[in-house]
Amino acid sequence: MNARGSAVLFAWLLLLPATIYIAVIVIYPLIDTIHLSFTNASLRKTFSYVGWLNYDKIFNETFAGVIGRTFVWTFFSVLLKMTVGIAGAVLLNSAIPGRALFRLLTMPPWIVPMAIGIFMWGWMYNGQFGMISGVMQKWGLVDGPVAFLAYGSSAFWATIITDVWIGVPMVTLYMLAAIQAIPEDLYEAAWTDGASRFYRFRRITLPLLLPAIITMSMISMIATFNSFDIIWILTQGGPSGSTTTMIIDTYKTAIGSYKYGEGAARAVLICIFLSIFTYFYFRVTSRLSQEYAR
Amino acid sequence: MVFNSFKTGVCALALAATSTLGVTAANAADQEISWIYCGDRIDAIHERYIEEWEAENPGWRIAPEVVGWAQCQDKATTLAAAGSPVGMAYVGSRTLKQFAENDLIVPVPMSDAEKETYYPNIVSTVTFDGTQWGVPIAFSTKSLFWNKDLFKEAGLDPESPPKTWAETIEYAKIIQEKTGIAGYGLPAKTFDNTMHQFLHWVYTNNGQVIDAEGNITLDSPEVLAALQAYKDIVPYSVEGATAYEQNEIRAIWLDGKVGMIQSNTGAAVRAQGTEMNWGVTTLPLGPSAAGNGTLLITDSLAIFKGTGVEEKAVEFAKFITSPKPQGEFELQGGAGLTPLRPSAQVDAFVEKDPYWAPFIEGIFSGGPEPLFFDYKGLQNVMIEMVQSVVTGQAEPEAALKKAAGELEQYK
Repeated sequence: MNARGSAVLFAWLLLLPATIYIAVIVIYPLIDTIHLSFTNASLRKTFSYVGWLNYDKIFNETFAGVIGRTFVWTFFSVLLKMTVGIAGAVLLNSAIPGRALFRLLTMPPWIVPMAIGIFMWGWMYNGQFGMISGVMQKWGLVDGPVAFLAYGSSAFWATIITDVWIGVPMVTLYMLAAIQAIPEDLYEAAWTDGASRFYRFRRITLPLLLPAIITMSMISMIATFNSFDIIWILTQGGPSGSTTTMIIDTYKTAIGSYKYGEGAARAVLICIFLSIFTYFYFRVTSRLSQEYAR
Repeated sequence: MVFNSFKTGVCALALAATSTLGVTAANAADQEISWIYCGDRIDAIHERYIEEWEAENPGWRIAPEVVGWAQCQDKATTLAAAGSPVGMAYVGSRTLKQFAENDLIVPVPMSDAEKETYYPNIVSTVTFDGTQWGVPIAFSTKSLFWNKDLFKEAGLDPESPPKTWAETIEYAKIIQEKTGIAGYGLPAKTFDNTMHQFLHWVYTNNGQVIDAEGNITLDSPEVLAALQAYKDIVPYSVEGATAYEQNEIRAIWLDGKVGMIQSNTGAAVRAQGTEMNWGVTTLPLGPSAAGNGTLLITDSLAIFKGTGVEEKAVEFAKFITSPKPQGEFELQGGAGLTPLRPSAQVDAFVEKDPYWAPFIEGIFSGGPEPLFFDYKGLQNVMIEMVQSVVTGQAEPEAALKKAAGELEQYK
């Protein structure tokens, strides 16, 4: 074997453990899920192939609504996370007294175990014992208890707010690191030319943050699209399905109702959506790398 | 060398003996009955009786695995469907038909003598196709609890709880208007007991969801009246009914922030620790009621097929639910259980704490949870129906017709 062949073989040997690992925990389950999605697998010990039937069922009126809701939920959640995260990063980068403390205070939503944080929000949304309803009553904004998880639209927004609370620290820290990488002399030159604070933010910070914003938005979108814990703990997809997203619907179908074939078809659809997001993520990040390498 | 050979021989014998013992011990340990036990800990009474049974059955071990209420049923089901069933699991009896029709569990036939030990209608909660598919281990009925202090404050007679739905709605309205506190606690969260609570109203108006021949009978005047009563009581109920399940409503009642609720014996046990003056009575009746009614909910021990220990698991299930262990377990109070069997012990409890009486009175004319092939499908349809009426998205008649149509696919 020549030197090149030996190098290739060595590289493959190094990759082998990771390849086996990926094959076992990703590729096999994925293929099995796709296979399952063409069957009527349920609690019965035997199943038969049903062709595209499970996919036909997916595109009925109800599930189309679920898909739409998932996109709306993801859009607003990512938008809010990015907005609050960037604003937080700019503030934490400012030369204000106690900056270190403020940076520390951004961490609790990330540090607190997710389930505990979600339960805490569940209590805050409670109409009878919850803090939010209590404060609103005290300030005279409402004349009685308000159960935020009781109504479709308020439950929908309540789950988004909780997701934003959990997701903001990661965005903030990522953006803070990106802001700190912007050369200081650009700000100094702009300041010398009399540029206002907002002008400097709009013409220097924001354009130079763009690669980080796009990258973070894509990562956040992938994670948010698949967000399960928050909705499940707070509302289980209710009331009347108003917070049922694709992942919740998939769980309810496959695990809740034991319709494994139908659930697998839903999971495959989620996988397709996420693959599209990931494809765009890699394309955009690769284009940005080329752009900034020039 | 002779000595050495002797020593070697002794060592070999000792090793062989140890190995044999080890094999025996390993075999004994292999005879294990795994048990998915719902809750956050094993009840001390069950622990004690498990030890007793193991002592009487050398070579057998019970291996309970404690799993939270929210996951335990799904875990047992998923394991069985995946071909690695547990020996035994604590499940809602409503799931038994689905398990049986999918060939996941074995029947647990009861003798006539065994059946006779239970209160009426209990055995029917685990019976289908003429045989029993589980052993009841927990039982719950509901009664109406009222806050006497709030009744008094609203100008109502604190010793006269409502006897009918009409009175319940009227009293709830009076309490709300006179005290500013919700008159009634209506749970309607996306949660199984939303369906259960509604079925209490159905069974106190002589209604049913499915008849003995398997026909869906939901779309009937009796059930429509129950749904209409739900709609009528919403304005006087705890704000945001769809945010609360039964136990959360109970917490609000214990806090003195609602006049009336329907709950199990657990509410009575907890209320004794408060300063509130309260009472408990049989559930109010609808206009078509034929007598007292309540939903009879049982949980059972289901024995899964394919473990090789089915026979012994049935034996253990019958032992742990036999009158003595079961009597001690269910009369502790805190778990909110109603006794499965009449006994001198139950009579003594009723005499000592009269609040037990309405829970037992309701049994005789109560109805079991409907047994459907796809009980989750049933549950989802019922919850959706209730929520659509409670939130004002649908009128009772339309919601009922829609639900009745959807149920056909799940029976």
